[in-house]
Amino acid sequence: MAKPERLLTTLRPWLSVLASRQRRLWLGALLMALTLFSALGLLAVSGWFITATGLTGLLFTAGIAATLDVYVPGGAIRLFAITRTASRYLERLYNHDTVLRLLADLRTRLFGVLAQLDSRALASRRASDWLNRLTADIDTLDSLYLRLMAPPAVALLAGAVLSGVTALFVPLAGGFLAAVLLLGWLWLTLGQARLGMAASRRHVDELEALRGSVMETLQGLAELDAYGALPHQQRSLDQLEARLHHSQRSLGRWVALGNALQAWLLGIATLGTLWLAAAAFQAGSISGAVMVMLPMAVMAMSEAFATLPAAFTWLGATRGAAERLNGLAPPRTRQPAAQATSAETPPDNARTLCLDNVGVRYPGAFQPALDGLSLSLAAGERLAVEGASGSGKSTLAALLGRQLSPSLGAITLGGVALEAWPEAALRSRVAVLTQQTELLDDSLAANLRLADADADDSTLWRVLKQVLLADWALTLPQGLHTRVGEGGRQISGGQARRVALARLYLCQPDLVVLDEPFAGVDASTAQALASALHLWLSDRTVVYLVHKADGDTALPGMTRTLTLTAGRPDQTATIRHGTGATTQR
Amino acid sequence: MPAPAANHLLTELAATQRQRLNLAVACGLLAGSLTFLQAALFAWIVSALLVNHQTLAHSAPLFALWLLALPLRGLFSYAQETLAQKASLAVRQQLRRRLLDHLVRLGPVRLAGYHSASLSYQVVEQVEALDGYFARFRVQLVLAVLLPLTVLGITLYLDWLAALFLLLAAPLIPLFMALVGMGAERLNSEQFAAVSRLSGHFIDRVRSLTTLQLFGQTQRATHSVHAAADGYRQRSLRTLRLAFLSSAVLEFFASAAIAVVAIYVGFGLLGYISYGPADKLTLFSGLLILLLAPEFFQPLRSLAQHYHDRAAALGAAERLAELLSRTPPATRLKTPPSALAPGAFELLLLKDACVAHPGRGVVLGPVSLRIGRGDTVVVTGASGSGKSTLLQLAAGFVAPDDGVRQSSADLRFAWMDQRPLLIHATLADNLRLAVPEASDAALYRALESAQLSELLAQLPSGLETPIGERGTGLSGGQAQRLALARIFLSAAPLVLLDEPTASLDEHSEQAVMAAFVALQRAGRTLVIATHHPALIALATRRWHLDHGRLEELAHG
Repeated sequence: MAKPERLLTTLRPWLSVLASRQRRLWLGALLMALTLFSALGLLAVSGWFITATGLTGLLFTAGIAATLDVYVPGGAIRLFAITRTASRYLERLYNHDTVLRLLADLRTRLFGVLAQLDSRALASRRASDWLNRLTADIDTLDSLYLRLMAPPAVALLAGAVLSGVTALFVPLAGGFLAAVLLLGWLWLTLGQARLGMAASRRHVDELEALRGSVMETLQGLAELDAYGALPHQQRSLDQLEARLHHSQRSLGRWVALGNALQAWLLGIATLGTLWLAAAAFQAGSISGAVMVMLPMAVMAMSEAFATLPAAFTWLGATRGAAERLNGLAPPRTRQPAAQATSAETPPDNARTLCLDNVGVRYPGAFQPALDGLSLSLAAGERLAVEGASGSGKSTLAALLGRQLSPSLGAITLGGVALEAWPEAALRSRVAVLTQQTELLDDSLAANLRLADADADDSTLWRVLKQVLLADWALTLPQGLHTRVGEGGRQISGGQARRVALARLYLCQPDLVVLDEPFAGVDASTAQALASALHLWLSDRTVVYLVHKADGDTALPGMTRTLTLTAGRPDQTATIRHGTGATTQR
Repeated sequence: MPAPAANHLLTELAATQRQRLNLAVACGLLAGSLTFLQAALFAWIVSALLVNHQTLAHSAPLFALWLLALPLRGLFSYAQETLAQKASLAVRQQLRRRLLDHLVRLGPVRLAGYHSASLSYQVVEQVEALDGYFARFRVQLVLAVLLPLTVLGITLYLDWLAALFLLLAAPLIPLFMALVGMGAERLNSEQFAAVSRLSGHFIDRVRSLTTLQLFGQTQRATHSVHAAADGYRQRSLRTLRLAFLSSAVLEFFASAAIAVVAIYVGFGLLGYISYGPADKLTLFSGLLILLLAPEFFQPLRSLAQHYHDRAAALGAAERLAELLSRTPPATRLKTPPSALAPGAFELLLLKDACVAHPGRGVVLGPVSLRIGRGDTVVVTGASGSGKSTLLQLAAGFVAPDDGVRQSSADLRFAWMDQRPLLIHATLADNLRLAVPEASDAALYRALESAQLSELLAQLPSGLETPIGERGTGLSGGQAQRLALARIFLSAAPLVLLDEPTASLDEHSEQAVMAAFVALQRAGRTLVIATHHPALIALATRRWHLDHGRLEELAHG
């Protein structure tokens, strides 16, 4: 193989997931082997039986007395017929069970990895095609065992047993079989894998490139059409498709070649075994029935080899999937924070906030997302940060929620460096309402309880009342158990926003970050919500993130504003002081 | 159950590749026949050695013949697979072209109702889903009928009673196929639904990870992911237990056929069966029958394995057929019937033009207007009043359902909306979409006019800097200005702008505004749909749309 060690390194984490279910894997392979041996036995004993009866029959007609026990082989034939069917059925069921268990293991493991990603990585991967590919990659890996591990192992075992048994009768034939089957096995697994590696590895990327280009074309159809650039775009699409088809064509050829070779190989093995067995028969060392039995068993081996060429030619696809998933492991940026959990006693409050010359630059971006931002908030202050989309507000929210580490500068919360805060303490002291309302495809109650798993129903009703949703929820036939749908799509955008607010009210944080708190809520409702919000916010330190601070709805209790333009605090913007003004540093 | 349209599409596509597919079937038949020949040679050799007591050297020619047959069989099976694959590639290429052409003809307006991600998924993945059907299933379907029939014929010739055993199973074959088919189809559809539900759960949790992190709930969510996957396993095993039974039945008959034939032939050879043709059995015919018995069922077993290919293809074809049945608007089918004389003062003329959208009724019109060279027309109106439709009609993306649209014969236009096109290529490639042969100097001028020189100076490789997918690296405002640079580059006399400043920050907005003034000075004709007061101030003519009705406002 190209680089066997690197391939193993790539697959190692996933093999170790499989290893946790070792017993099931062995048992599954055993059932597979039992099925195969039944098939071998069925054909071999049948061949033996027919030859033996044929020869005995000839003796009868020649008038020679002869005996043949027909009951033992007859019974064996029936037994093999039954075990072959039964073990095949059991094997399929059992191994599918195993694969589904592995799927659960892999998903869980991957989710654990994703949970470690920072907000930047998550945001860039929110796109549904990325998520679809992610799930497809897991599905590729969950069949690692069923396609690439058990079948070659069973084929190798069957080849060894068959050669061994043959050697007992005709040593030379046994040796011949062992050599041919081993060489064949090596070719059908490693050889095919090598042939197909490059093409099957890049196949997914080529598909992605084509889909990306199709998407560009469809999204930009108006402009492409206006400039008469469609034929040009069509040509580049054709090129991408040609590349994809080229890979598919070579892969198809390799698989066809493997299949043809597999049949040829077993033909040669059968033929050679028959020749050697016939020579042994003529030398008088084996009976005629055994002479027939041995090559017939070899014939049945095709069942063990048939699936290998296709599976191994496409090994690169599995490798690619593993590589992509391995690549998800986050750069260890959030790790130190998590490790700090056990350290020192938790800071006593998170009421004050200080940013000192903070900057964030995303990899690949031409400009920093946030540049030289300094601000300081005293306990109970309410700051509004305003700016257009792309001005860096969401980056600021991610920083304050510690979902992103600043590339420059320092953030201090409650007098303690933000990165030194223990995870649990931070989550209970800082609450963030993200700009995008994220609701799980689950019940209303489950979505609210994300904030407080132990909240009882009356508490949930109380917070729903605070966002003016209690009356609406009362009219629902399933009440709190009503499902909100994927991303909250079963309820309106405004209702979803209010559920997100209600969820916030279940927390008791010191610092609250509100990114467009009333987005999607009509103006009159927003006014009504604002007073409840104002009440809940008392004694808490607040950062509002808004498009325009003096927009349609007032931000309750806002004390001052800061304007962000393209990631920089706008020096020219006037600083408005509201009630209870505090001077800016 | 598959819609007839899906079947129709698949049959129609297969017809274009009839020759290759038939050749593949022929190769499959030849490969199968060679397998039978090998079985016959095997029986012959054994019979020659054991019954006729020939020496091994004497049967060497038979071995030689066998040795010859082996690569030949390999060749035919290789040819079968590669021919069918070629057919599949050709079918997919042709279908993808057809789909893309169709989508282009539907035009940006009709496509607006679709999600572009799901459309491109259809054009790529769903077309790929047809692969197994053409590359394997269709050929195997024919072979699954022809090869067992051949086996039956040979067996009938050798021993009619043994053939009867196979024949007894034969009426059951359609039943198996239905069973296997139903099993596979149900398995496929139920599994599919369950898998997508499970994936949905997983994706839902991943999408909400930010929130889960903020509430410190990732641990709990990880458990829920596991629980969901495990629940799915338990449910799907219940289905699988039944689904695998149908293939077990096929397996059972294949095994039983070998067992029954072996025991029948054995007892016949011993002379225990005095009925029928059994006393004429020889070691040769007996062995051959035994070897052919599994071949009777093998093609069916292969077919059962490829059954999911059919289900997948039907599912995909159904949705593709639905897409292909959408009819494109008239202007995009042929050149507009009436054109204004080149060089006429009017660039565009509408007479009582109406546009209706399916399900929404008339969204624009009747509208009569003329756009003259050098005009700067600003179109205002509430959202949903038909502003975008008016621009689309001007561009010819939609045809008037009623009334007339006339444009100057040499009309070229430039277009910009809120979602500028960015292709996954270099900055220069993105600009040259408008004018493929534009010189670098022209590109620099266009970037300067669009106030992007500052950005250009920061780019590591200048014009050759790759612009990532969906404009990674560029802010929304910069992407908008890139589209603007294309307008400067194109020199098209008519410039159509749909809400060009929405979602721009102040800095970009000012840059864009200045660029419009420059376009105006260059004598271009601008039609701008907007709410923005500063843009309205640029107008030389103002139109207001109210529920699809146009009113020209006096402009001072």
